Amino acid sequence: MKEQVWETRPLECWAKAKELRAEWQANIAKDDKIVGQGNTYFVDWQEAFPAIRIVEDNPAGSMIQAKSSPFARKCRLASEIRGWGREICGYHGNIWGSQFLGYDENGAPFARRHFVVPFPCVCDSHAKRGQQVRDFEPVPQWMSDQCMYLGPRDEDREEAMNEHKAYCTLRQINDIERVFGQKFDDEKMVEMIHSGHVERECRSEISRLMAQTVPAPISVKDMYSFYTLGFLTRIDPQKNLDFWKLVRDEIKWRAENHIAALGTERFRWIEAHPPSWHFLKYYRYMEQYGAVCLGSQYTSGSGDYKGIERVTYPEDTPLLTREDAIRYSDTPNAREPVGFKQDEYMNRPPYGEDVLIKFARYNQANGALLALWRCGVGCTLTRKEQAMRLREAGFSVLHYEGSQPGDRTDLDEKRFLNQLDNWMESQGMQKLES
Amino acid sequence: MDKFKEMIAHRHEYAKAWKARTGGKVVGWFEPYFPEELAYAAGMLPVRVLAEHETDVITDKWMYAACYPVRDIVNLILRGRYDYIDGYVTVEGCQWMFNAFEVADNNKKAPFTHYLFLPDYTDAPTSKDVVRSEFEVLKGKFEAWTGKEITKEALDNAIEVYNKNRRLLRCIYELRRADSPALLGSEAMNIVLASQVMDKAEMNQILEKLLDELEDRKPVGDKIRLMLVGSETFDSRLEELVESLGGNIVIDELDTGSSYFWNETYPQRDRLMALSLRYLGRPHNPIKDSNWRRRPQHIFELSEDYHVDGVIIAKQIYCHLHGTDNYAVWKLLRERNIPFLFFERDTGLPEEDTELRLEAFMNMLRPGLTRLVGWHKAMSL
Repeated sequence: MKEQVWETRPLECWAKAKELRAEWQANIAKDDKIVGQGNTYFVDWQEAFPAIRIVEDNPAGSMIQAKSSPFARKCRLASEIRGWGREICGYHGNIWGSQFLGYDENGAPFARRHFVVPFPCVCDSHAKRGQQVRDFEPVPQWMSDQCMYLGPRDEDREEAMNEHKAYCTLRQINDIERVFGQKFDDEKMVEMIHSGHVERECRSEISRLMAQTVPAPISVKDMYSFYTLGFLTRIDPQKNLDFWKLVRDEIKWRAENHIAALGTERFRWIEAHPPSWHFLKYYRYMEQYGAVCLGSQYTSGSGDYKGIERVTYPEDTPLLTREDAIRYSDTPNAREPVGFKQDEYMNRPPYGEDVLIKFARYNQANGALLALWRCGVGCTLTRKEQAMRLREAGFSVLHYEGSQPGDRTDLDEKRFLNQLDNWMESQGMQKLES
Repeated sequence: MDKFKEMIAHRHEYAKAWKARTGGKVVGWFEPYFPEELAYAAGMLPVRVLAEHETDVITDKWMYAACYPVRDIVNLILRGRYDYIDGYVTVEGCQWMFNAFEVADNNKKAPFTHYLFLPDYTDAPTSKDVVRSEFEVLKGKFEAWTGKEITKEALDNAIEVYNKNRRLLRCIYELRRADSPALLGSEAMNIVLASQVMDKAEMNQILEKLLDELEDRKPVGDKIRLMLVGSETFDSRLEELVESLGGNIVIDELDTGSSYFWNETYPQRDRLMALSLRYLGRPHNPIKDSNWRRRPQHIFELSEDYHVDGVIIAKQIYCHLHGTDNYAVWKLLRERNIPFLFFERDTGLPEEDTELRLEAFMNMLRPGLTRLVGWHKAMSL
């Protein structure tokens, strides 16, 4: 490429990532575990039950759309004729439609769920989705909550919330032991907590390097291939930790040696929340302009940009009992200030500067591409206001419309690419010669 | 009966006059889990922020894909229709409604705003403690804002006034169980809506008088008995449309209807706990019915108690809560052979389209009803 400025080269950790992913996939195909439906981010105790595997509908729903549009349409129709709204989250329309049909996108039988832990979430669609599993057939369901409030931290207010959260998790574990005759491995839980700290640090370091190094050593397009490893794609905790250390070390080396994700980097942009999983091509399309995407709060492992101190127990807090471990892992802060889903509620005026402005500055971004999802309340709420605030702060913003990251119905791909052309050209940028 | 409809139409003037008369503060609430008793005990007038459609060229700037009541509320707030409101409180619930609160918070800054967390998991033993704690926080904030302590006596009085209001509304709804009720669905809806924007003590006096009048009122005649389920509504246009076609909504399961007043507060020494249990024990809307499916069964029980011939499910487009809950409701109604009509509402009520659907639905019900030989309605329908 004529206008290449930086050296670039493929990521070496790719091979390991592929190996781990393939191993996970192979295990799923052959395992006979008790399958629970839940959000793997919140059900972070699952490895302490060796015979249990948690699956989540978000990635499964997006996979259906990405693999087969006709099948995804069929699934959503199967949901709609049974009462699911046509403007609810595409992930759910797809996955529950597949459950109604009885088979998945590969034609294999829909994997039976033996229990469900609905996703406690400020997204209305997500909060309600888990009930489908128990509506479909009588299986156990355990609930929890994502507590929150506005304004400065109030420890007194959090006390009852923390008790509630701890109760919910302890009850889930206790009941799973009782109902399924499984033994919860308390020592494994403590081990996971400690390895989780190191993993989070690795992810944070990667996000910091990505945001603060020019050229970016890795783009979000690449990160999307890795970032599910460890939570959506559950693997052995030690292998997971080794992998994230590997990625961190490589990104650090690339940053120190100015190895770019995109050799022509000259424009940096951010997003908010997930992309259209079925049309990731736009990242490559933008690369023709020398534009690199740094991701969103959704992908960033670092909460540093928020400028909010993360409240945690001291590292040497003794974890002697199961309750200690659960209270520790549920965090002492009921609101979980790094939770990206709550940004729209708390991290905005009048409670502080808009989180997206902070994120854009942190990433040294030139612009922001903000999706407006017709079928996504949680990923669209306040997006227009954020755009206004970003513009006032001097960032160029483009909106594009679609149904939802897991539903391609309303995304006019051609129009979207034309919008990207207009956006880039309006900023005086032309496609680079190849 | 028209006075209730007029009351809703003139609710802004009513609240302004109340302020001028009492010198008190008006607090606007968005979600039905707001403990009005606390505001009332603090000497305030709690009013539900009702939607009403006016030409809207504003809200597109602020929001995307929100349901029309939320847009209309934002439109009204930004146009200054609710400028007399001194404080806004919202409760964790519908996200679009939170969006309305948040836009109001950013653009029409009221002297007081508060967000109250209420768990989606309403059945845990710890849920009541969370809600009690949240109510205590709100009570403290009200006291700091008004500079007045909320005494036990004031709270007891508020609980009793609100309980009385609920009992009176329940009495009115009980009259609708009659074979030929004395009031129409539209009238009942206007009464409940008016009750959400008026001083409860004043409303109670009106309702007591109304109950006496209703005892002597001529029945409205035999009509197809229908139930209304779905997203909350802020007027009685749908009920009126049903009535124009020979039907009568005899019961509803709406957040702005029966669910608003269905259960009372059972007093106990810990008043905040009593309130916590009342709000956690009310007929839940979809987002708070996230654990056990109590809502479909409640709908079924109401349909049985009120002897309905069919159910109308009217969902606001972009209502994610009912969009994810309808499956369970449809399933139960189908299993129990209860006919239902589902349709989506958008900005306002598309009259002709809705009329056609309602007419077809009621025509479908009529032959089945007339086949019930000996039944009192058979000839007149």
